[in-house]
Amino acid sequence: MAFPHRPDAPELPDFSMLKRLARDQLIYLLEQQHEVDKLYKVESKPAVSSSEQLCFLVRPRIKNMRYIANLVNADKLAGRTRKYKVIFSPQKFYACEMVLEEEGIYGDVSCDEWAFSLLPLDVDLLSMELPEFFRDYFLEGDQRWINTVAQALHLLSTLYGPFPNCYGIGRCAKMSYELWRKLEDEEDGETKGRRPEIGHIFLLDRDMDFVTALCSQVVYEGLVDDTFRIKCGSVDFGPEVTSSDKSLKVLLNAEDKVFNEIRNEHFSNVFGFLSQKARNLQAQYDRRRGMDIKQMKNFVSQELKGLKQEHRLLSLHIGACESIMKKKTKQDFQELIKTEHALLEGFNIRESTSYIEEHIDRQVSPIESLRLMCLLSITENGLIPKDYRSLKTQYLQSYGPEHLLTFSNLRRAGLLTEQAPGDTLTAVESKVSKLVTDKAAGKITDAFSSLAKRSNFRAISKKLNLIPRVDGEYDLKVPRDMAYVFSGAYVPLSCRIIEQVLERRSWQGLDEVVRLLNCSELAFTDMTREDKASSESLRLILVVFLGGCTFSEISALRFLGREKGYRFIFLTTAVTNSARLMEAMSEVKA
Amino acid sequence: MDCYTANWNPLGDSAFYRKYELYSMDWDLKEELRDCLVAAAPYGGPIALLRNPWRKEKAASVRPVLEIYSASGMPLASLLWKSGPVVSLGWSAEEELLCVQEDGVVLVYGLHGDFRRHFSMGNEVLQNRVLDARIFHTEFGSGVAILTGAHRFTLSANVGDLKLRRMPEVPGLQSAPSCWTTLCQDRVAHILLAVGPDLYLLDHAACSSVTPPGLAPGVSSFLQMAVSFTYRHLALFTDTGYIWMGTTSLKEKLCEFNCNIRAPPKQMVWCSRPRSKERAVVVAWERRLMVVGDAPESIQFVLDEDSYLVPELDGVRIFSRSTHEFLHEVPVASEEIFKIASMAPGALLLEAQKEYEKESQKADEYLREIQELGQLTQAVQQCIEAAGHEHRPDMQKSLLRAASFGKCFLDRFPPDSFVRMCQDLRVLNAVRDYHIGIPLTYSQYKQLTIQVLLDRLVLRRLYPLAIQICEYLRLPEVQGVSRILAHWACYKVQQKDVSDEDVARAINQKLGDTPGVSYSDIAARAYGCGRTELAIKLLEYEPRSGEQVPLLLKMKRSKLALSKAIESGDTDLVFTVLLHLKNELNRGDFFMTLRNQPMALSLYRQFCKYQELETLKDLYNQDDNHQELGSFHIRASYAAEERIEGRVAALQTAADAFYKAKNEFAAKATEDQMRLLRLQRRLEDELGGRFLDLSLHDTVTTLILGGHNKRAEQLARDFRIPDKRLWWLKLTALADLEDWEELEKFSKSKKSPIGYLGCGSGCRRGH
Repeated sequence: MAFPHRPDAPELPDFSMLKRLARDQLIYLLEQQHEVDKLYKVESKPAVSSSEQLCFLVRPRIKNMRYIANLVNADKLAGRTRKYKVIFSPQKFYACEMVLEEEGIYGDVSCDEWAFSLLPLDVDLLSMELPEFFRDYFLEGDQRWINTVAQALHLLSTLYGPFPNCYGIGRCAKMSYELWRKLEDEEDGETKGRRPEIGHIFLLDRDMDFVTALCSQVVYEGLVDDTFRIKCGSVDFGPEVTSSDKSLKVLLNAEDKVFNEIRNEHFSNVFGFLSQKARNLQAQYDRRRGMDIKQMKNFVSQELKGLKQEHRLLSLHIGACESIMKKKTKQDFQELIKTEHALLEGFNIRESTSYIEEHIDRQVSPIESLRLMCLLSITENGLIPKDYRSLKTQYLQSYGPEHLLTFSNLRRAGLLTEQAPGDTLTAVESKVSKLVTDKAAGKITDAFSSLAKRSNFRAISKKLNLIPRVDGEYDLKVPRDMAYVFSGAYVPLSCRIIEQVLERRSWQGLDEVVRLLNCSELAFTDMTREDKASSESLRLILVVFLGGCTFSEISALRFLGREKGYRFIFLTTAVTNSARLMEAMSEVKA
Repeated sequence: MDCYTANWNPLGDSAFYRKYELYSMDWDLKEELRDCLVAAAPYGGPIALLRNPWRKEKAASVRPVLEIYSASGMPLASLLWKSGPVVSLGWSAEEELLCVQEDGVVLVYGLHGDFRRHFSMGNEVLQNRVLDARIFHTEFGSGVAILTGAHRFTLSANVGDLKLRRMPEVPGLQSAPSCWTTLCQDRVAHILLAVGPDLYLLDHAACSSVTPPGLAPGVSSFLQMAVSFTYRHLALFTDTGYIWMGTTSLKEKLCEFNCNIRAPPKQMVWCSRPRSKERAVVVAWERRLMVVGDAPESIQFVLDEDSYLVPELDGVRIFSRSTHEFLHEVPVASEEIFKIASMAPGALLLEAQKEYEKESQKADEYLREIQELGQLTQAVQQCIEAAGHEHRPDMQKSLLRAASFGKCFLDRFPPDSFVRMCQDLRVLNAVRDYHIGIPLTYSQYKQLTIQVLLDRLVLRRLYPLAIQICEYLRLPEVQGVSRILAHWACYKVQQKDVSDEDVARAINQKLGDTPGVSYSDIAARAYGCGRTELAIKLLEYEPRSGEQVPLLLKMKRSKLALSKAIESGDTDLVFTVLLHLKNELNRGDFFMTLRNQPMALSLYRQFCKYQELETLKDLYNQDDNHQELGSFHIRASYAAEERIEGRVAALQTAADAFYKAKNEFAAKATEDQMRLLRLQRRLEDELGGRFLDLSLHDTVTTLILGGHNKRAEQLARDFRIPDKRLWWLKLTALADLEDWEELEKFSKSKKSPIGYLGCGSGCRRGH
């Protein structure tokens, strides 16, 4: 059932090297500090420790600096002297040092950097584990992480050779790419002679495609993420899944044989697959009967352990499925999916709008309601003013007035906007260019002029054929295209762009799409050193998602890879989903 | 051949010494060398002369003149000495001239007489004055040792990293030692001094008396001592005309010699080379030069003029008013080839080649002879090596020609030694040229390395030659051409008579975008010379904008720095500039600057959000950004104030701001919230329970759950809650209460706007 890769699919590079590098560096940093006694979480509570030295391992955020400053100053007041060391990961920012200085403790602490920017979550998935990237860049317009991205790319190219073909779209992608190139130029010579291992790199900003990220996920891995939240490649299965009274932390990656076979499957297939698997397992156990002593000994020493392991995993995933089913197969979920599909296809807008309104009125979930509003806004080039006002009013009444700030954020990021009066679908396109120069809009959006732009989703969808025309039922067991990750209703835009560009090896012929994405200046191709790349490496593609990617997108591209004989490697600032995006935009009471 | 060895003088059985002329000096000296303080740097370095005016017979009114010449006598600098009396001169390893004054101050001058810096050797030296001083070289750099008037020694082993060290006292020392020197053993500098018949070794901790092994009896005083170039050997000259030679450790004696001259020699230096056959010392008196070693006879030369000896790694340079000569032990390869009647393979090969040129068949005979012995490879190697040690190009050529000739008869002779020697000799001949005046020998050149030689050429401002050498040797650009061009540019910016425009253009024309050239370094130099405009012009050429920023900040061009920092894409750099600007400009200007730089503005906002909330407000105010200002106040209403009045006030400000921003919706919503807050407060007062900060929906629900249906209806009317919502709300609330009667009553009262399906699901959810 799980699709095997084509026999000529290239081998993936070994990313465990990244882990080893990071580990060795951390050990080196900590060794200077002698023994580590206990680990504390950095939070607004005083760490009670009698140790003579404190070592903080933090993200370079001003908030964390304040925390450290409070702690050090409290120690000072109490008249105790300790050694303090702050290790910034992935890098130190001058702003942080400034805060330490302003708080008067710069002399008391020593600072270090732990350049750990790439965590290999899986054989084909590298995460920078920077969930704050999304809000920092796309909302606050803070470009500081771009440097980190460039450094990470630089590290990859020093370890795995240069990338002969580069493509990208989006402002952040372009800046990261340019900065990275600068880094390469400054240190040239190192990578020049190396044979490239990875033939293509594709950089993509999250704001190119918010739609895909906002949809409910229905492939298994995505569903698990939506339901249980996968953190750093592992998930906490609660008692309802483990069918015991304890929670269990489970690592989800290609090592888990059962999971590896179902992760990319549409959820409707998973249960059937798991029960088949259970039957097979039983059959293998049953082989014991009629074995002689020797065979039995063999069985126990060699197979039994594997079977037991598989058994355990199987029951876990069955438990997870049951739990998901309980939550999702209610009438509500069907309705929800139906509404989403209607929004994507653009029919029955009124019905969808009232569905959303009801959703809000019934206080189903603040995050879900917000997500649906955003989806409506993006697919419809903004809400019509009447809906914009009434939905917002309803929302504030249901979930609290502080969300006025949330709406201001969403508008700034271009996720939830209002149609200018008189805007019709066709007129929008010409309006877009005006909007950018419009003074009133410009003033509010200021630095974010590029970010606060209108989506032209419908036109793009038509151009790229994102809504497959299906005669009869879409067979989810044997997917035909990437649309299977959304039950055959929609091909993820981001993945389609990648597919199209790789097919053409450039943006040629996609001018219209690029224009509709408001990225005429921001799509780039760079082909160099083609001659040295082996044909094998040319079928390895590194896709960089700036602002996060979802498991659905990963599944879709894995599918594409299998179809075309590519292997995709994913580098993302963090794995995300609709809820995480919405939470990043929400303002909650302090 | 006979005539070639005419200047060879045998010392003992094994070694020959030869003396040949390097240059005839062209320096047109006005006074005798003996009237001057003289210092010559090793490795063919420059010569400094300071006419010594602090002798009694000279008229005090005449100011002394400090003159610097190249080794060929070309004047490099000449300046009037205006500081105090100088006791000693010396060259550092970086070819800087150190002038030790009587008061212990050391003045440092460059090769071109440019004053660099000065430092003092300490208070003790200042009080007791300097009696004598030595500049010496160690592996760390150049050191200065000083003997004070109180007969104490102070030394610093590295003038680059000045650490003064006062040596322990010598017990019972009443007068100045008859002679002394610095030794370097185990990376530590010591002082060896002679007082009457006794020798003392001073290290950091103690003074110990030492005795050279096998010293002839009857010595009552040491007149002169000499340490070899590598600090390995020591020679002592006694008042009996006896010379002791041994190791510096004073554990081993090499040889001794009695010259029967009791007059104190003017100078005594070692003349040996790495892997010398013979260790010899050169002793100079007024008119006599003597080379002594482990042989009963010495070599004697007559000195026509007042001369000065400079010890080198592999020989001794001797210069006088008219000539500059080099005296050394003939290297093995040369000796083998040129020794009279030598049958060494190299000698035969040279002979064969000469016969070949004469078209004589003898060439073949010689060649066969070598080949029969199987020594052709050795012969070629000998010729190549000997060529390196020859000073005259014609001799070099004939030896190389012989080597090349021999190579033809060898199948697999690796060519690189030959090629490298040709290259090295071309470089050596170029720098030995009269105009350049660096008489390096092959061994010295190898010891010095090409990098240092290039540095020295740069130091002499011989940029074109240095670049030619780099290109000729095909050195990588970063180490070679670029480095030299950068030096040239740094020199160029110091030319004050050329306009900024011209200098910048000239520099850019030459440098282009040669890799490894840092325009910001050059600009920093220009700024150092006070040419800010030029520095800015030069920075324009710097391709890495990040590199431009620190200097721009230093030059107080902060706004330019800001845009460059933004260009670089490095937010950290931007932030650095921002904080710089913040301190430098007044608030208004600072904000105006930010306004034009969106990226910097957002960065600063981020910072303010956590560190300076008030500033953030000012920023929005300045921009008339009422929308953000409104959001700011709303945030404030949730964050700080606990009291309801304060919160309402904050909301009122926010609402006003929203009106100004023409955001009616937000303004209305805010006003509603104020209303709700007040109402919630009243409800809490009247009904008890917790109402504050609930959403409208939750407030109504709470009221229904508390059985205050009337109040709930009132609230719904006041806030115009739509019917649909009210239905859902009531349904859920009543279902939660399990108040089925009321529910039934309610559902029958009006037609359900949400349909009865919804009704049912609402009830189901209650269970």
